[in-house]
Amino acid sequence: MMPILVALPLLLALYLPFCVRVHDPIATPSIELKGLWQAPEDLASRDLYYGPWGAAAAPDPFAVYTLVNHKHTGTNPGMTVIDERGREWSIKQASLYTPAAEGPIEVVVSRVLSAIGYHQPPVYHMPSFIYRDDWGTHIEGGGRFRLKTRELKDQGDWSWQRNPFVGTQPYQGLLVTLLLLNSSDLKSSNNSLYAHRLGDLVEPWYVVRDVGTSLGETGRWAPRRGDAARFAADPFITGVHDGVVEFGYRGWHQELIRDRVTPADVGWAARLLSQLTERQWRDAFLAAGYTPATAEPFIAAIQSRIAQAGRVAAAGVAAAER
Amino acid sequence: MTGNVARLLRSAIALAIAAMPVAALAQESSPQPPVSTVVQGLLPEPGFIDRAIDFATRTMGDGGGDKSGLYPEMSNMITGAGWISLGPGYRMWFGDRWFFDTSAALSWREYKMARGRIELANLAQSRLAIGGEAKWQDYTQNTYFGEGPDTPETNRSEYRIKSVNVLGYTNFRPVQWLTIGGRAGWLRSPSLEEPAGRFRRDNPATRSIFPDDIAFARGDQPDYLHGELSVTADTRDRRSHALSGGVYRAAWARFSDRSGGNFSFQRFDAEAAHFKTFEGARITLVGHGWLTASDTAGNMVIPFYLLPSLGGNNTLRAYSNYRFHDRHFVIANVELRYALMDHLDAALFADAGNVAARMADLDFAKRSYGIGFRVHSRKTTFARLDIAHGSEGWRLTFTTSDSLHFSRLSRRTAPIPFVP
Repeated sequence: MMPILVALPLLLALYLPFCVRVHDPIATPSIELKGLWQAPEDLASRDLYYGPWGAAAAPDPFAVYTLVNHKHTGTNPGMTVIDERGREWSIKQASLYTPAAEGPIEVVVSRVLSAIGYHQPPVYHMPSFIYRDDWGTHIEGGGRFRLKTRELKDQGDWSWQRNPFVGTQPYQGLLVTLLLLNSSDLKSSNNSLYAHRLGDLVEPWYVVRDVGTSLGETGRWAPRRGDAARFAADPFITGVHDGVVEFGYRGWHQELIRDRVTPADVGWAARLLSQLTERQWRDAFLAAGYTPATAEPFIAAIQSRIAQAGRVAAAGVAAAER
Repeated sequence: MTGNVARLLRSAIALAIAAMPVAALAQESSPQPPVSTVVQGLLPEPGFIDRAIDFATRTMGDGGGDKSGLYPEMSNMITGAGWISLGPGYRMWFGDRWFFDTSAALSWREYKMARGRIELANLAQSRLAIGGEAKWQDYTQNTYFGEGPDTPETNRSEYRIKSVNVLGYTNFRPVQWLTIGGRAGWLRSPSLEEPAGRFRRDNPATRSIFPDDIAFARGDQPDYLHGELSVTADTRDRRSHALSGGVYRAAWARFSDRSGGNFSFQRFDAEAAHFKTFEGARITLVGHGWLTASDTAGNMVIPFYLLPSLGGNNTLRAYSNYRFHDRHFVIANVELRYALMDHLDAALFADAGNVAARMADLDFAKRSYGIGFRVHSRKTTFARLDIAHGSEGWRLTFTTSDSLHFSRLSRRTAPIPFVP
């Protein structure tokens, strides 16, 4: 009896976190599309090094950051700190266990998403920083720095399956973009709904926030992220059948894309992404601490995928015209 | 305390302090850039090893205790419980200042434990921690061979022990690497029973082999009031897969028989371990020494289940767990680890030590040598396979702890039985 009493709670403890509800996506009452996406009219001139919030919001590499508290949730180590200007930062540091840290990948994907019109919070990367805690002043391993700004008030998660944008072109395009970057963790808990305040104006921002499991292979069980060789080798689009695109995606929540993405959706995302210049791609990776040499294979793989998406879209249009 | 004990302890503590690297003393005042944690193995590593480690640490944590939420309890069990133990755990941090943590576990040999702990963790600018813990444990197949260094292997017997332990503790850290610890607790009358549980090894009950032992003669075991004071300098770079630094510890513990009997005693420990890397951290040399001495007054005795013991996974690896029991022991271990792959080390090791009733009789007559393999992340050892040879033959062990098992240093409750 005793083994069952102990084993049962254990099995539940291990099993429950992996129990995810599978719902087909349904649009909830409409809200202005700009809550998710705003057309990037100045796309080609966007700064992917400092991102949409610019250099002014970036962390100062020479400042001393004061520890507020350590992070006690999630799988990556981290902390909340305050800089010398009183700004509060959430830092996601590299795990000691795995080779590719999530923080830099998150910055790259964030830069790409914001460049093509999706809202993103102010995130930056610093390889190390000076911080002060009860024990003195140290140099600490850095990571992803996210600014807690009064302009953005986090109001909790938003659901991939239940949101006002399901079925709209930007929603479909967002999924295609994340698949193109092999973002494996399409979980609602990685999304944040922000109240974005600009003067007296407050508007909702639907943000895909924790996107650090990307740029590698896809999968549910510890997929290798930030691995250029695996990223290049992993299949992106595997075919088109009955007017819907099939993907090689093996990550969470495949119901979001299964039988739901058309060549036109793929083409929409590809058109936006293909407008990014070589320099912008390089800047997105440099912003995350990659060197030009380490960024190059990622960029090549991404551009190859964009080209594939373009071909699929073109073939889809041709097929529709026939 | 006998003169011998005092002399040996003084020597051991002096040696430990002398071995402390001067660099550690300067650790506070001179910030260093983050240390690279990547050690390249000699051979390329199959992807599944890295993936398995990533998955394990993401889903189960690293045992570091700094995350809130549900976690699988895989520690807090003792040597001899079987190759694995599992159970549910739940921890909740409130800011950085305090947490509570509760867990239960069941092992391969049906050892069971349940515990709850609360700690005010970072008081006085992180210098002070105060906490309390309650633990129930039922260890079903503890091994006992008798007292002394010359007990025959054929004396192998087993007993089951159940106990409840409640205690309070405090740790003071004047500097980050130095901890002065104190704890005081109540150990309610441990229950000595016939061995039980799954995967029994058909060994006779201890009571049948040692019917005249004073613990059995007494019948009910006493309640104990116990306490410990310790000083630990810990300069290791990682908790259970250290590459550099060391652990240097001196401790005094006392058990007081509160049932009017004669099971009161005190124990002194001095221990030092040092880690040094070569060849770009591909080779790690580990040296370890540990001396335990017990002292009783007048007609007092130490019950066999609290006697210091030696042998097994963490000390003399060619001998059975808890192979030797007596009032004192000394052990020295040397281990040379070589990074075969990024997460797999091969190891050569040698152990030597002994137990004795008198300090003057301590020697290094029991020896074992062997090879092993360690699977580890950059911070923690996950699994270890050792093949060792000694005077009692070959022994193969597989465990999920590091080779010197320093997790015992963070254990709060009184060790019953004594676990080396």
